[in-house]
Amino acid sequence: MAYDVAGHGAFGGSREGIVHVFWLSGMSCDGCSVAMLGAANPSVEDLVLDRVPDLPLVVMHHPMISEESGHDLLAPYAAAAEGSLGAPYIVVLEGSIPDDQPLSAGYLAAMGTAGDFPRGARLGGAAVQPVRVTDWMIALAPRAAACIAIGTCATWGGIPAAAGNVTGSMSLMDFLGSDYRSARGIAVVNVPGCAPQGDNFTETLAAVVRYLDGSRDLPEFDELGRPAWLFDQTVHRHCPKAGYYEEGVFAEEPGDNQCLVEIGCWGPVVQCNIVERGAINHMGGCMVAGGACIGCTMPGFPDKYSPFYKSPPGSAISGGISKVTGGGIRRLRRMSMRTANSESIWDREDAGALDHPGHTGWGLAHGSKNPLEKINAHFYKKLQYRGSVDHGERNKKQPQPRSLDILRQKGVDLDASTDVLQEHVITREEL
Amino acid sequence: MAYEQTTAPGDPIEIDPVSRVAGALSLRASVDPAGRVSDARVMATTFRGYEVLLQDRDVRDSIFISSRACGVCGGAHAICSALAMEMTFGIRPPEFGIVIRNVLAAVENLTDHPSHLFLRAGPDFSEPVVRDTNPELWTRAQATAAAGQDTHGFTHVSDIMTGLTRFTGVLYREALAMSRTAREAYVLMGGKYPHPQTIVPGGISSTVDPSDLSLALLRVVKFIDYSRRVAAIWDDLVSFFYEADERYLHVGAAPANFIDLGMWDDPEAYDGTYENAAHWGERRWATPGAIVNGQLQTTKLPAIDSDVEEFVDHSFYEDWVGKGEQRVTEDPNGNPLSPRHPWNKRTLPQPGAPNMGGKYTWATAPRWRRHAMETGPGARLWTTALAGTLPHRGFLEPTGTSLRFGVPHTALPAGELEWHVPEVWNAFERNRARAYGLLHSTLVAYENLMIGFDLARIGGTESGIFNHYKIPKDHVIGAGYWGGARGYISHHIEVNDRVIQNYQIIAPSTFMASRDSTGTPGPFEQAVMATPALASQGHERHIDVLRAIRSFDPCMSCSTH
Repeated sequence: MAYDVAGHGAFGGSREGIVHVFWLSGMSCDGCSVAMLGAANPSVEDLVLDRVPDLPLVVMHHPMISEESGHDLLAPYAAAAEGSLGAPYIVVLEGSIPDDQPLSAGYLAAMGTAGDFPRGARLGGAAVQPVRVTDWMIALAPRAAACIAIGTCATWGGIPAAAGNVTGSMSLMDFLGSDYRSARGIAVVNVPGCAPQGDNFTETLAAVVRYLDGSRDLPEFDELGRPAWLFDQTVHRHCPKAGYYEEGVFAEEPGDNQCLVEIGCWGPVVQCNIVERGAINHMGGCMVAGGACIGCTMPGFPDKYSPFYKSPPGSAISGGISKVTGGGIRRLRRMSMRTANSESIWDREDAGALDHPGHTGWGLAHGSKNPLEKINAHFYKKLQYRGSVDHGERNKKQPQPRSLDILRQKGVDLDASTDVLQEHVITREEL
Repeated sequence: MAYEQTTAPGDPIEIDPVSRVAGALSLRASVDPAGRVSDARVMATTFRGYEVLLQDRDVRDSIFISSRACGVCGGAHAICSALAMEMTFGIRPPEFGIVIRNVLAAVENLTDHPSHLFLRAGPDFSEPVVRDTNPELWTRAQATAAAGQDTHGFTHVSDIMTGLTRFTGVLYREALAMSRTAREAYVLMGGKYPHPQTIVPGGISSTVDPSDLSLALLRVVKFIDYSRRVAAIWDDLVSFFYEADERYLHVGAAPANFIDLGMWDDPEAYDGTYENAAHWGERRWATPGAIVNGQLQTTKLPAIDSDVEEFVDHSFYEDWVGKGEQRVTEDPNGNPLSPRHPWNKRTLPQPGAPNMGGKYTWATAPRWRRHAMETGPGARLWTTALAGTLPHRGFLEPTGTSLRFGVPHTALPAGELEWHVPEVWNAFERNRARAYGLLHSTLVAYENLMIGFDLARIGGTESGIFNHYKIPKDHVIGAGYWGGARGYISHHIEVNDRVIQNYQIIAPSTFMASRDSTGTPGPFEQAVMATPALASQGHERHIDVLRAIRSFDPCMSCSTH
């Protein structure tokens, strides 16, 4: 066999082939769950229906998706925390962690009753009903094969941790501490975004699942625990409006087409991939649609980007420079484009049968070039074709086609023609 | 499966969490020996404090912060926040901006309604669940021809039930696919979903070109046939259960009390002012209204909003009334406001141990003229049908007792559908209304895209999508009145020197979740208490109670924020 596929699902391999995912919601808006359901590559059904042969089966325990409610939903959570699940598991946290452990009574995010909680595990404070999500996290994290924080709340604290909050919210990695490693030696994996691009999460989950199943190495994560291949570039580098920045043209108000930096876009200093990946199926993406980046994937979100719709201070320098240099570049490019927007047929000294070379029915009327343009075009071509074949010269010698402007040559009278609809109409029924 | 625990019949109901709803919802109830549910308590078990967070922030942060209170209908909150700022600062967006917002709002429903009908509520009517709880119904379904076969293609009701099965059912998987199709249309102009990036006061920060309109249109038209099929599927399911056992009429039953603020603004009428709100409100593609015991009380936005009061007697907050002076004594038209009106509310969280007789939830209890009201696509259809004041629209016609939909052809021939004001109001009718609400939203999206094409041709797409504004330094108030997939959304703001003094959000589920000062339960609890136990086996699943609660499509993140 040329390629050994054993261990990649084809023959079942030697591994368990099952990984459980336990979803916990802290201070969440459910937007990350919604983002996951929107993911297409892979989709949640790809994962849970075992449709990708090299992926183990993912058993998803998720309050928004699961068949079961209450005790039936939570019994596997308790089994996992007790070590009796019989398969590796991943804990996914959506939403930030509230500072409710020190409360003597009450909770800020809760799920389940005391009877659902694993035997022997300590509940924070008195037997709080319902059980705090923070208690679940403490009980599940030590035996977890991996902990994944999805979304900016779980990864960095997000909006619930913003200035003026009364919940003391924090990120999962701050809650568990920097010494935390999962049972398989992994620190908290962070997939940020508010809400995250769905595929960013499912692709990362699939990568972690493959690693846990033993079929692949763990891919690279950066020093903040982000999947490096997704978050190592600024969003500006792949932004469709970055070219405007280069030419120094900026949107003055929302709805304008140009670079959005001056109406409050932080893209040049934000790590995110939404413009190259799109929001879903390569469609949309903030700046693609005209929305300014507010840094929602970054640990500083939201306060370090507030107030929104105000240009970042740094852009006064970088944007100012690009206006000067970009202005010159834009003018030179316009000249090159004028040449490139002209057919070789129009450039020939012999117009052939063409009455008006360089004219179109849409209003283009290429006049003759001014002396500066002629000089520029001459040297431009010399440079372009140097060391190669000079198509400029070859095209000059090419004879003009004889069928140019054929209707005039044949004497077809367009003014005498009428719309076919005025002569005979065939209805859909007749068709 | 191996993990199951069982509860003996007659034991108290304790379902925490109720799965397949948005956000954290917990249900506690007593069951009498006859199996009747009494004393239900619906608990919202998460609090994040968005209203507190928004206070003392630059008002320009409002949209992107407040909309993140809800990841299920963040777009609706974003638009509502923009409307609130427009009223506060006297901004009128251009027609094209209004129309594109309408498209986004309608398309958001196209992703959300199928998600509810098939991912959240649908599995409760699926083959495995019905066979587990009512095997006699499964046998009956196998012998019951589906009336809507010509439209939806399923021969028997049992085939629909098989289709509703989680993940493996064709209807479940189709809903996942269709919800993604709608998201594609959304992100073309919204940037991303959930939490769009282009909603701004004064219009929209979107560079809409003919490709965007065309790509959105091609996705929206897929919903024309889909929503007809969805309506036919739910018509068949509803009839099947009613005919099998008329006690299903009581599952999730609640009084016909509805409140809705309308949605989808008329681009020629909307001017953002409170003074003209009664007028531009009635010009919407869904008519605002308040209905008590089936009787329409008003369709005027100021009359609806000014009579709303919020209670925290059973919620983990301190009461603000009596603490300091009332902030806003009258509305901008000079009508007196209650100290419990959102413009006067303060959010004073006070976590504590839940006490079913006292404070037990993080949700507050808004009331309209002291009535517990229901929100949602049912309310939206109902107020629109009853009012009969909808302006001339291409595909919608209210009759006073129904709402008619003229449906253009795609693969199915052109036709007409009609949603009738039902004689009973229960879980089944709620789901049916949401199915027709999907058609409603589809046709609104389609018509607004048509208007969008016209406006793009007339005005060019770059000039007319946003109107510039200045934020004054004055002390000002304003409100946004809007709707999401679940209906009623209001944002009330008070701003001084560009800094938010007070920001209050009422979301659809806020209205429905919990009890007021008189102990009157909200519709969630009323519906659970009205529900008979009809399972012939597997009582511990409380399937009909879950059908009742899920039929509201609760969104608890939104509700408590």
